[in-house]
Amino acid sequence: MPEADKELVSIRRFLKERLQRDYTTLRGYAEERSNVRLLLQRTAEMGESNSLLLIGPRGSGKTTLINAVLADVLLNKSFGENTLVVHLDGNLHTDDRVALKSITVQMQLENAADGKVFGSFAENLAFLLQCLKAGGKHSKSVVFILEEFDLFCAHHNQTLLYNLFDVSQSAQAPICVLGVTCRLDVIELLEKRVKSRFSHRQVFLFPSSQRFEEYVELCKDLLSLPTGNSLLLAAERFSNLQKIQSEALYCSRNHFDPGEYGFSPRVRETWNKQVGKVLATQQARSTLQALYDFDISEAYLKNFLFRLVAHLRPQSPHITAEKMAAVGSQFEGDDKIELLCGLSVLELCLIIAIKHHSEIYDRDPFNFEIIYARFSKFAKVSTTMQAVERSIVLKAFEHLRIAELIMPLSGGAGGGVGKVQKEFEMHKLALTYGQIQNCVQRYQALPTEVAQWAQSSLI
Amino acid sequence: SRLAEGTPRRSIHLSNIVEQRVFKDNEIISTPKRGRPKKIVRDEDEDYSPKKSVQKTPTRTRRSSTTTKAATTPSKGITTATTTPMTPSQKMKKIRAGELSPSMQQRTDLPVKDSSKSELQLAREQLHVSVVPKSLPCREREFENIYAFLEGKIQDQCGGCMYVSGVPGTGKTATVTGVIRTLQKLATQNELPAFEYLEINGMRLTEPRQAYVQIYKQLTGKTVSWEQAHALLEKRFTTPAPRRVTTVLLVDELDILCNRRQDVVYNLLDWPTKSAAKLVVVTIANTMDLPERLLMGKVTSRLGLTRLTFQPYSHKQLQEIVTARLGGSEAFKGEAVQLVARKVAAVSGDARRALDICRRATEIADMAAVKCVTMLHVQQALAEMIASAKVQAIRNCSRMEQIFLQAVAAEVTRTGVEETTFMGVYQQVETIAAFMGVTFPPPGRALRLCSKLGAERLIISEHSRNDLFQKILLNVSADDIHYALRVAEMVN
Repeated sequence: MPEADKELVSIRRFLKERLQRDYTTLRGYAEERSNVRLLLQRTAEMGESNSLLLIGPRGSGKTTLINAVLADVLLNKSFGENTLVVHLDGNLHTDDRVALKSITVQMQLENAADGKVFGSFAENLAFLLQCLKAGGKHSKSVVFILEEFDLFCAHHNQTLLYNLFDVSQSAQAPICVLGVTCRLDVIELLEKRVKSRFSHRQVFLFPSSQRFEEYVELCKDLLSLPTGNSLLLAAERFSNLQKIQSEALYCSRNHFDPGEYGFSPRVRETWNKQVGKVLATQQARSTLQALYDFDISEAYLKNFLFRLVAHLRPQSPHITAEKMAAVGSQFEGDDKIELLCGLSVLELCLIIAIKHHSEIYDRDPFNFEIIYARFSKFAKVSTTMQAVERSIVLKAFEHLRIAELIMPLSGGAGGGVGKVQKEFEMHKLALTYGQIQNCVQRYQALPTEVAQWAQSSLI
Repeated sequence: SRLAEGTPRRSIHLSNIVEQRVFKDNEIISTPKRGRPKKIVRDEDEDYSPKKSVQKTPTRTRRSSTTTKAATTPSKGITTATTTPMTPSQKMKKIRAGELSPSMQQRTDLPVKDSSKSELQLAREQLHVSVVPKSLPCREREFENIYAFLEGKIQDQCGGCMYVSGVPGTGKTATVTGVIRTLQKLATQNELPAFEYLEINGMRLTEPRQAYVQIYKQLTGKTVSWEQAHALLEKRFTTPAPRRVTTVLLVDELDILCNRRQDVVYNLLDWPTKSAAKLVVVTIANTMDLPERLLMGKVTSRLGLTRLTFQPYSHKQLQEIVTARLGGSEAFKGEAVQLVARKVAAVSGDARRALDICRRATEIADMAAVKCVTMLHVQQALAEMIASAKVQAIRNCSRMEQIFLQAVAAEVTRTGVEETTFMGVYQQVETIAAFMGVTFPPPGRALRLCSKLGAERLIISEHSRNDLFQKILLNVSADDIHYALRVAEMVN
């Protein structure tokens, strides 16, 4: 492989890994970050008990913020040696029983041996509470991180939440309860006594790339290669994280390691210049503007950039505005129209018949018989559809149904199936007229008869 | 109560059988596991300390101790346990027997000394909810009330019930435990007959029947199944025994102990009526009319009418509480405390809330590098903690999301009903987008916007399985949307 190709492969790998596996780098949110950090530090050093809720829309960097703060504070020894971190996830720990076993294991209590917890649910709860009660200012601080906090609110009686918050408000072992959720109204889900024990600190994370210029800047930042110095700094930080080797920061095992990469200044400069030039063009900016109008979260942009970077080949080694536009148009497309264009002409005829029926009767539900009658009226006078048998049409109708282009009225499969024969079951159309119109225009080699019939229901 | 009908002799006999069976059960459980490799390599002296004084009822001490000793094989005594590490199952047996005290891991370095802390830090520590003062301010009357009740019951050596209610954060548990602490002090000074104190909390139990287990555990230190615990407690409270000490039982969060059968609550409130029990039960819950609303007639009747209600704190009381916590410290401006007290008293009258807000205000002052908390810091803390972030969330939505929200509001205005369908909203979206001169994404991607807004709970939407027919409710008020989008524009 020539030298230039090797360089490109290395750049592509670097960009991809940074997009996917850099769990601890957070951009922006200076105030929120220092807020959480100070809170964790006070828990560890002073032995204060606290609770906090981190709230923000999906993809706004809530987990990254916690990872970044943990990576920060775990580096100083006084935190690492005096604190236990317990991670819980509402999706994994679906009830208090499972969550409690996980807490017992992660806190290495005496009734846990090598990941196996002895005793019943009630015994585990009693033992955990006794342990926390026996502790005081001299015992280690425990940081509980509850991701998908709103799902913990759905547990029976909210026993776990009550007990965690209760410990944080009484003279026991110092703990910090850190809830992470995307629901803005999560406090309303708490029971009143749990709500009273919660300290009402809420940190809101709203993506700060409010203005488009910042978004372009972020995009540039994610695409350009860093200087050797900052690479070294990042690599050093990463190797420190590796040294901690603690369960507290579980993401450090398969983390992005910038130390593996080195770019010569010439390569870096040409690459960054190219990126800067592309992002200054009108075409690239309008692509980004379309993305930005739809979704301002960083996750969406990263998704876009990963698709873009994956297209870097030795034959076309540069990121260009055309490539960005191509990927952007992939993002904007309507998948249902693609699905419609893959239908056979018979199925499309049925869809058109359904559309006529819906237009005439103002979206009234329909069944196979109605649509078949409407279709045969057309088929009789058409020259291409005369020989189609009823069973074939029924098969086509069923095809539409399992593709969920038409949906049964009852919603569930058990609703009317038992009682009503399949030719008579009522359905509704899951498409807008605009989508059907679009499909008729884009369909390859559509017979003229069908195209004309699509225009008007009169035959 | 059935056991009580039998002769005392018989019931004693029965209990011995139960105890022996318990012990044998444990033996059977542990023996096959003893052959396992010993996984735990931890220093035994640290996590194992034999419990010195196991609390036992006076009646049962002698009898039960003889049976246990007879059954214990000498080889399994404490001496061997200290020399060889225990297997986890042996350890679990010790935990169940209450011989292994639960412990937390200790810090490696010592906590910060008080002398090195600044005045703000000291104030912050004093303001923490966990620092309960020796005498609660503004609860003197309630203290007197409960004190008189409990002292009377202890002096008279009879049983009884009391029901304490009030909204969360009004000092119910703190007052009751304060009364009991005072009584215990008097008892140690021999100014009052000695009594035993047990407490359970409904929310700390996994199910109502675990109440028996917890009560029995506090009496003896042993963990047994609830059936056994029930039988043993029944025996203890229903058979008359000389030199029985009065027992005070505090039941927190009573409403959780109520299930459909209400057998647990019935038992807890029925035991005080037995002359042999000498049990005083204090129950705490939030709602004032819980006995009438939730409990059966016979339970309500047993609960009696000795009731006490804790009113929410007024702003004067809240102010007094906070200033009492601060002591003579100059860390807070007087009007700052007043602002907190007035704001909190207007919402809930919750003392925890006021203390938390004050604590947050000290943190803000700390970051601003000043030594005194002023009105501005308190105002910032109040804005943070009595937060309404909906307007901010709407402002930080993407353009299409904002259009979608406007369309939902427009559809609500058009149809006049709160509940809209996706199809109607999408038509409004197309209209608004055409008006504003933007192209809107196709319905598939609009569904994505819809579920994204639904995840934040700005709107309430169904599963997107129902595609165009899903129902959408607006979770923010239409005025909030208008305010967030129009007023922001005008300011810019």
